[in-house]
Amino acid sequence: MDENIITQIRDKAKDLLSSGAVECVIGYETSTDGTTSRPAFIYDSGDVERLVFNNTCTHNLAAYLSNKKEQKVAIIVKPCDARAVNVLLSERQIEREKVYIIGIVCQGVVPVKWSKVGEDLQMRCKLCDQHVPVIYDYLIGEPAEEPSPTVSPWTSVAEIESKSPADKTDYWEKQFSKCIRCYACRQVCMGCYCRECFAELLDPEWVGIRIDISENAMWNTIRAFHLSGRCIGCGECARVCPVNIPLGLLNMKMAKEVAERFEYRAGLSDEALAPLATFIKEENLGIGE
Amino acid sequence: MSKFISKDELAFWLDGLMKDRQLIAPVIVDDQTVFKPIMNVDEIVFDYKNTVLSAKEWFFPTTEPLFTICHKDGSTDLAPIDIEKESVVFGIRPCDAAGLKLLDKVFLGEPPDFIYSQRRDKTTLIGLTCLEPAPQCFCGSMGTTPNNADDVDIMLTEVEDGYIVSTVTEKGKALLSDVKLSDSEKSWQEAKCPTELQVKEVPEAMKNCFEDNYWTRVSDRCIHCNICAYVCPVCHCFDIRDCPTSEETERIRCWDSCQSPGFTRAAGGHTPRPTKGSRLRQRFYHKLLYFPERFGDLQCTGCGRCVLSCPVNIDIREIIMDVPKLGAESGAKA
Repeated sequence: MDENIITQIRDKAKDLLSSGAVECVIGYETSTDGTTSRPAFIYDSGDVERLVFNNTCTHNLAAYLSNKKEQKVAIIVKPCDARAVNVLLSERQIEREKVYIIGIVCQGVVPVKWSKVGEDLQMRCKLCDQHVPVIYDYLIGEPAEEPSPTVSPWTSVAEIESKSPADKTDYWEKQFSKCIRCYACRQVCMGCYCRECFAELLDPEWVGIRIDISENAMWNTIRAFHLSGRCIGCGECARVCPVNIPLGLLNMKMAKEVAERFEYRAGLSDEALAPLATFIKEENLGIGE
Repeated sequence: MSKFISKDELAFWLDGLMKDRQLIAPVIVDDQTVFKPIMNVDEIVFDYKNTVLSAKEWFFPTTEPLFTICHKDGSTDLAPIDIEKESVVFGIRPCDAAGLKLLDKVFLGEPPDFIYSQRRDKTTLIGLTCLEPAPQCFCGSMGTTPNNADDVDIMLTEVEDGYIVSTVTEKGKALLSDVKLSDSEKSWQEAKCPTELQVKEVPEAMKNCFEDNYWTRVSDRCIHCNICAYVCPVCHCFDIRDCPTSEETERIRCWDSCQSPGFTRAAGGHTPRPTKGSRLRQRFYHKLLYFPERFGDLQCTGCGRCVLSCPVNIDIREIIMDVPKLGAESGAKA
């Protein structure tokens, strides 16, 4: 744990809360296992000592911003989470002036489960090319020169891409058959902010409540399409999945397609919209002409 | 003097049971231990900590048809579902067996649930003593122990080269009728599961903190997925829907959870529990007050699955420790 970073986070949180600049600071605190971290909501400047930061702070806190639209809040973001904040800003889900962004220069996080901490960095952190948040009001940590990438950012999808269509179908059917439709992937995702999810619509009923391979595949596939070009790769969906479905792989594949076809990567600015989430009336789509 | 079965004899016996029964046992799928119907005794994992989902899904499946409505030649037939095959659940831990005992209070009350009661009747439970509880386990605080045999039909405890066998019920005795057990004096190191959680006063304390801001604060962190309810051996809420095809309509029930925003939504769109705080509060009030008021026991067996699987560390043990303090504070204010 980097004590210097923690001190700076606590000092900043204290300033923001005691000056009344924000009502709440969303950060991390130590979880009940005494080792890993969990999201923390600090309302009182006297509680800032609860805040911590270390390599178990894997949670993307940006999803919580959708619950706090009415309040002025501060949020601790890693560079990946900062891209998530940008997605929410560009999609007009949150107001910039209501969010105070405390960016952390990140050295990567490790795989975490309650009471279990991995030794090696997460794969996404090994492939990360952005250790300084793209958006912040206050930066903690010393930016260093980005190392030049040695492997493709899409390394994780190479293996599944090399499979035959039949093998891919087998693979995903096996994965989706495990799904219990707990919707943790949706609930933890900053991009899944719909007030009413298609999965809960009754008329039309896009996906049935039956927990079986057909409906499960429908659910997971539509969600992946909805996130195409909007997913910033925080890996939260795969982390929270209680039955270990590698959902990140699905979203990463979609991100790759969007990157290659549209030269677009989610969350790099607070203005640009994802190609598949945009409709420009004047755009020549070549349909019906 | 206890009864003993060697590992080879156990495998032979289980293999025999599979001939005319479905055998459900812990197996490893993608690095996780889960209960599945097995085809081969070699698939069974004997030294697992606990499965990802409890054994409840074999009595209260994630999705099951309740009955089928057939329209034919101007008449309407209603076909109920009959569970015909006998099953054996092998390797259930005492916490999950205790969970079934609590589910029985819900599903076997008057009138009993037609399908659940059939599954319960036709299933024999073979328990496995926990020799090493996991860090998230707290069954010791919830009225059971790692070797409690009260809620299974047969209990097995691993010792050198085999298992000590305790036959608990007539159903268990019947299953073992063809097996020759030997006498043994082998012993084992009894596991201890933490007992320090003070639960006795919790239902009373819950009565004093319904309006406390505590629930809103905890729900800040909660993402309101259904993981805790789905991994829980005792949560039992479901949704029902009709699934029509051209010839028939199947009425199904699926797991559902009070954490979902649609759970209490009524016709017309009104939701009595519209906020995250009110939904999170409902979960703990059901477990720690309403269930004990109605059935006498807390609706938790200390299996620790929700502690392990919650993505944001909503820890029921922490809630249990906090609640008496909230009650005391409210009481002091009054």
